[in-house]
Amino acid sequence: MYNLFQFFLRYYLFLLFVSLEIFCFYLIFQNKRYNEVAYMNVANSVSGKVYSTYTGVSDYLYLRRFSDSLVDENAKLRAQLLDSKYISKIDSGILRDSTLKNVQQYSFISARVIHNSVNEAANLIYLDRGRLQGVGKQMGVINANGIVGQVVAVTDNYSAVMSVLSKEFKVSAKFKKNEFFGNLHWDGVNSTTASMEDIPKHVPVKVGDTLVTSGFSQLFPRNIMVGRVKTVKMEPDKNFLEITVDLSTNFGSLSYVYVVNNLKKQEILLLDSLAH
Amino acid sequence: MLNQIPLNIFRLALLLLAQILIFSNLNFSSFVNPYIFPLFILLLPFETPRWVLMLFGMFSGLLLDYFLGSTGMHAAAGLLIGYMRPFLINIITPKGTEFEISPNVYAQGITWFIVYLGITMFIYLTLYFFVEAATFLNFFFMLLKIFLSTVVSVIFMLIFLFLFSSKKKRRFV
Repeated sequence: MYNLFQFFLRYYLFLLFVSLEIFCFYLIFQNKRYNEVAYMNVANSVSGKVYSTYTGVSDYLYLRRFSDSLVDENAKLRAQLLDSKYISKIDSGILRDSTLKNVQQYSFISARVIHNSVNEAANLIYLDRGRLQGVGKQMGVINANGIVGQVVAVTDNYSAVMSVLSKEFKVSAKFKKNEFFGNLHWDGVNSTTASMEDIPKHVPVKVGDTLVTSGFSQLFPRNIMVGRVKTVKMEPDKNFLEITVDLSTNFGSLSYVYVVNNLKKQEILLLDSLAH
Repeated sequence: MLNQIPLNIFRLALLLLAQILIFSNLNFSSFVNPYIFPLFILLLPFETPRWVLMLFGMFSGLLLDYFLGSTGMHAAAGLLIGYMRPFLINIITPKGTEFEISPNVYAQGITWFIVYLGITMFIYLTLYFFVEAATFLNFFFMLLKIFLSTVVSVIFMLIFLFLFSSKKKRRFV
């Protein structure tokens, strides 16, 4: 007993160090497993307030750039209006308002980025919209240039988004020209590129080909821009092409984004459960 | 001795704000990820007991984790450098040196500080980046990232030190 006591007295600093370090690693692995808990932490009000105050100040410095990007986007949207298209088909089934409600599949919630990072192994973006504004977990996030990520945690007024620049993020994407689809994921090195998986070797892929979302996952609508093919490699011992993609979204300068609300999600999930 | 407490609390707040609002938003490249926040632990008074250094290291790390959403990672790294600090100061300081109350860039000199900050930040960032990536793949990428981030962190820390250190010698206060 005396020896034991002596032992503790002698090595108490080292023992304290080891036990605290075990505690820290317990926290880390706890959070790696249940990511939401960690993200909740960040999307909570204290740090959310600090970040949104800071963004409130810094936004004034970038007002011009923001308004420019909004004007650009308006111009793009205007080009997509029915009025600016020539409709050759003589349409007999004109949609009335009451039926239009049933036809619409997606609605969008605009949000401001209050914190952003591109250098971590799993990059998080925080938005100033939360549960009260209609943001929910597992919703996709896009901006005018392309896809941004997926909501992983929501509090009343803030939400945390796992950006495309996270190793756990995967999205189903397809080639615009021939509809071949595969999974896009980030390789963890460069904040402007990602890699495309599961494209068989017989698919003709050229540098510069456009990739868009497939709409198979319930995150994003179809045909949202993802990026362009940067390099294509064919390894003899592999069944699939190795494709790197230049992401169209500039993650270093996100300001305003849209949260995608899939109105038909419940129905598709129901169908999913019926089919299995 | 008493005015060390408000001084360190003020330094903690200043470093925390600088870290989360500026240095974690710099986005130089994926190789350079500077942290100046550990300076809080490194500038605590020389006389601070080891267990206090360890607890402060861990809790300041948890505070940073809370803002950056990386629960536990900075705490683990902060704890480690809190534990190692007395060893390191013993090793790198020549025998018979007179100490100030706390490390001061004008008293210890810039060479001593570069060695001190360089070694601690290398250890800190090695632990942090490997835990963050949770893998030993991509070893050379990680090594380069640790090295470059250490260099940039130390440069920013030195700038911080020269901006906020008092030149006045406070020996025997």
